[in-house]
Amino acid sequence: MGKNTSPQRRTRQQPVLLRFFAALSRFLAGAWHAFRDGDASVKLSALIWGASCFRRRQFFKGVLLCLEQLVFIALIVILSPDLIKLGSLGEVQAQRVYDPVTRRNVWNDYDNSFLILLFGVICLFLLALMIIQWLRNLRHARQTELMARKGRHIPTFAEDAANYFGRKFHRTLLTLPTLGVVCFTIIPLLVMIAIAFTNYDRNHLVPTNLFTWVGLTNFRSLVSMTSSSSFAYAFRNVLAWTLIWAVLASLSCYIIGILMAMLISHRDTRGKRFWRTCFTVAMAVPQFVSLLLVRNLFADVGIVNTLCKSCGITDWLHNIGAIPTANVIPFLTHPAWAKPMILLINIWVGVPYQMLIATGILMNIPGELLEAARIDGANAWQSFRNITMPYILFITGPSLVNSIVSNINNFNVIWLLSRDVYTTSDQLMAAAGATEVDLLVTWLYRLTQDQSNYKMASVIGILVFIVCAALTLTAFSRLTRGDREGAFQ
Amino acid sequence: MNRPFRILLRHVLLMLLAAIWLTPIFWLVVTSFGTDSGPNIRSFFPADYTLAHYEALLFGTDSVSQFPQWFLNTLIVAVFTCLISTAFVLMVAYAMSCMRFPARKPMMNIAIILNLFPGFLSMIAVYFILKEVGLTNSLTGLTIIYSAGSGMGYLIAKGFFDTISRSLREAAYLEGANEFTVFWRIILPLSKPIVVYTVINTFLMPWMDFVFASIMMNSGVASEKTVALGLFSMVDKVNRNRYFAQFCAGGVLVSIPISVLFIIMQKFYVEGITGGSVKG
Repeated sequence: MGKNTSPQRRTRQQPVLLRFFAALSRFLAGAWHAFRDGDASVKLSALIWGASCFRRRQFFKGVLLCLEQLVFIALIVILSPDLIKLGSLGEVQAQRVYDPVTRRNVWNDYDNSFLILLFGVICLFLLALMIIQWLRNLRHARQTELMARKGRHIPTFAEDAANYFGRKFHRTLLTLPTLGVVCFTIIPLLVMIAIAFTNYDRNHLVPTNLFTWVGLTNFRSLVSMTSSSSFAYAFRNVLAWTLIWAVLASLSCYIIGILMAMLISHRDTRGKRFWRTCFTVAMAVPQFVSLLLVRNLFADVGIVNTLCKSCGITDWLHNIGAIPTANVIPFLTHPAWAKPMILLINIWVGVPYQMLIATGILMNIPGELLEAARIDGANAWQSFRNITMPYILFITGPSLVNSIVSNINNFNVIWLLSRDVYTTSDQLMAAAGATEVDLLVTWLYRLTQDQSNYKMASVIGILVFIVCAALTLTAFSRLTRGDREGAFQ
Repeated sequence: MNRPFRILLRHVLLMLLAAIWLTPIFWLVVTSFGTDSGPNIRSFFPADYTLAHYEALLFGTDSVSQFPQWFLNTLIVAVFTCLISTAFVLMVAYAMSCMRFPARKPMMNIAIILNLFPGFLSMIAVYFILKEVGLTNSLTGLTIIYSAGSGMGYLIAKGFFDTISRSLREAAYLEGANEFTVFWRIILPLSKPIVVYTVINTFLMPWMDFVFASIMMNSGVASEKTVALGLFSMVDKVNRNRYFAQFCAGGVLVSIPISVLFIIMQKFYVEGITGGSVKG
């Protein structure tokens, strides 16, 4: 790194958007200059992509470029009907019409709003990609022209191809993974984000019904309470519990995990491997097995309730008024009990993993540091406070933010513990399809799978993103530690 | 307090903790051998022991229980997911760690941003897309959703590659090696822990995942399920009292190979994670 770090730092200070637009305008200007200054073949390659290549005797490459152009145009033409309908998301309602030829009622040629949206988005994506490729190609054609003018060697197709295992190897490596992400993450995300601005719900289900754009209506129903919708109420409750859950679940697993790792790694502990294996086994049982099991252990008619009853714990709890009904401790069915229980069970599930990570870190603590401290007469507590703890915090601090974000999205624990078990008695929550123990993500799941309320699900998905992004941004300086990646090489 | 007493206390505490962590697992095992086919709510240990549930699970398939088929389904998906995802992760990690190109930083930022969206959100649209091409309720579709986006999970592997000395690569370039050779002959052989870690992680994904599978495989046909979906269907309201012990047996059978894998690979696992993810 050394020399070139300081100019990089300076550009880093500019806002991301500004840098983006600066790069964009440089890119556009470059393409325009290439077109303006280029010779006839460069100008022609704005129309026929391979033109300049043919002029420079790169026939194979020229053919490939023309093929690419044809594929782009063909795809966009095929998808263009959907692109045109994107503004209205379709107008022809599905219905049975009498076909005089077959003398039967058949479906008319109806519009499917979801597919229009999907293919419209894909078409827009392809258009953008095609424009980028088109401009890049112009610039490239101009560069090749300049090379030819100077009498430099124009790479042959074989040399170009070999480049893809050399200087351009990253393209070879990244093509397939990027394609996967674009097709199965980015485009679906764009579609779902768009759905937050439509009225796609139970009353507008495709293919029999159409849905259309409604602007910010859905977002408004999340903030303002109306007589017909309790989403605002449910949202406040769910968001509050999501944040409380994320912080408590992350902190508890983190602290207990580190403490347990220290307990095991201590020099007085015999059979370290054995103890570690004990906890790893608990981690290796798939979550859906262990959580479904635990949920049956703590069910209203479950083994723990039976045992508590026979020990007299249930009666005692009833006497002090901690449980509403005699005979049963509502471990997972009463909000006041279910929330702490879920947090405890999450500790059971999550701690072994944290412990394993912390163990690895503890092993890496420079031994001479602790040794030096001991020689200087530091006791166990002092060397923990002044060496071990700062070291662990320094290394795992950033991952704590990550773990809060991933706990906001922790679907498994909540869903597997509450599905079919927890039913809310709060009418307003139930009307919005939520329960007290739901996180935003499990609420999202319920909305789509139980209520087909895709519009609100998308709104919640976007809000989850905003919450996570806000959290990550506050920890941004920590997360950009990628800047220092060279220091270790 | 004298030292032997403290050591004793330490081990008692460890035993207590191990008991807390292992009791549910232990209960899983004894219940799977118990005679009750529903959840045992009378006592911790079953009244009597039998192998009937394992037999029913493995040989007596019916409209609900199709364990051998589920196992096969999951295994197929897991093998292909593992192959594709491991390749994707290592490829992206190498490009991001060892190469410098203009799109590198923007792509890394986009990956961070995409990871902030709940994965479940895009899955809803993916469901409709796969339905359009007829891949829902198929193992191909399931493999696609597990492996297509896997390239974004490159960060840990990248962190590991970052720690490999640059001078090694530079020496290879001087010898005339191209990037492919460096990747294949130098970086990969040096990255055994992270390769093992990635292989385990991606292989386990279909065994552990429940959510995505439940969206994609919604036909309700027992023979099409994965292990997670199938075992879940055994403990829903309707089937719980008949199949709970079989669920436990299935849980044991799935957990054994996974546990063995975990314990054998524990060393690699710890090295892989700490070598990669956590660096101040």
